Amino acid sequence: MSTCHRIDDLRDYAFDELAAESRDSLEQHLAGCPDCTAELDRLRMTTAALRMLTDREIPQRIAFVSDKIFEPSPVRRWMEGFWNSGARLGFASACVLAAAIVVSAYHRPAVNSVAPASVQTAMAAPDLSRQIDAAVAKAAAQIRDQVHDEDARILKAALEDSERKHDQERRALMVAVGENLDFMQKRLNTITVLASNDVGVRP
Amino acid sequence: MIFRAVEDTDLISRVRRGDIEAFNLLVSRWEKRVFNYLLRLTGSPDDALDLSQDSFLKAYQSIRKLDDPARFGPWLYRIAHNEAYSHFRKRRPETAAEGVDVAEREAAPGFPMDLSLAVTAALDRLNPDQREAVVLKVYEGFKFDEMAEVLGCPVSTIKSRLYTALDLLKTELAPINTRGTR
Repeated sequence: MSTCHRIDDLRDYAFDELAAESRDSLEQHLAGCPDCTAELDRLRMTTAALRMLTDREIPQRIAFVSDKIFEPSPVRRWMEGFWNSGARLGFASACVLAAAIVVSAYHRPAVNSVAPASVQTAMAAPDLSRQIDAAVAKAAAQIRDQVHDEDARILKAALEDSERKHDQERRALMVAVGENLDFMQKRLNTITVLASNDVGVRP
Repeated sequence: MIFRAVEDTDLISRVRRGDIEAFNLLVSRWEKRVFNYLLRLTGSPDDALDLSQDSFLKAYQSIRKLDDPARFGPWLYRIAHNEAYSHFRKRRPETAAEGVDVAEREAAPGFPMDLSLAVTAALDRLNPDQREAVVLKVYEGFKFDEMAEVLGCPVSTIKSRLYTALDLLKTELAPINTRGTR
């Protein structure tokens, strides 16, 4: 192996991986360095020997989505073709709808009465009306009771409030009367004292 | 190579839009290379075929995760590399990626048996990392940055493995080289 300081460049050069700016200088170096030239020859001969082992043909194709084993079965392909056709899809939808109607009719419960359903409905109408009236009357009574209770509650509250106010006013009036009486009493006392003084001063 | 990359990129775009046939074209384009890469790693045509199948299946399943469609090759080889090493670990955990004996390998068709076996034997004497570096560079023609992508290690490590391997191979294959030059 060459001990030249450019051995790494030489190897990169052999594999065509040396940067373009270094290629010219290496080629000039090779012209004057027998060690590197011999090393380059050895590298090329070694890789040539390695390439004697050529690629083999693959024994069988890689099985993938396009291969036969992955292809849909004839039934599935027919089904895909069928569902992809608009006319067939419409026809199939109509068939399904018809089948649904037949099945529905077949499983419908039998009618016990001989009278047609419209007659039964007509006969049942007064009962239904009465039931509705009763329900409405009951609901109205409930609402009336609720309104009455509410009125009574409001009236009671108003009376209590009025009595409380009246009591407060009466108390305030009594206090005022008491104060006036006190004032009158004081005035009377003052007049009495003044009158007694006048009597005492006179000869 | 540029046209090839553009075509692969176009096929990948079509696959991502749900065109299965585009992926089949990619398979036909790459299957021989991937098979031979795995054959050189495992030494067994059956294993290589199974692993190729698994690799392409995984590639199809995860093709939307491929960031740069222009790097499809290294990305596909990365998947194949992982499949091979996973296979080695399952088969013989204590000697993962050791490959098979030379005696088990078959000579390459079209070449003298002794030369073919000598090259195969020389490759088998390399450690798995060195052998894979040689395979990716010499046989698959990847650039160093692409090899780093496949193997998941720095370019400096790749170069170290490759050049060490080539120094060993030079010695091993010296008689062939001499014979070839006569």
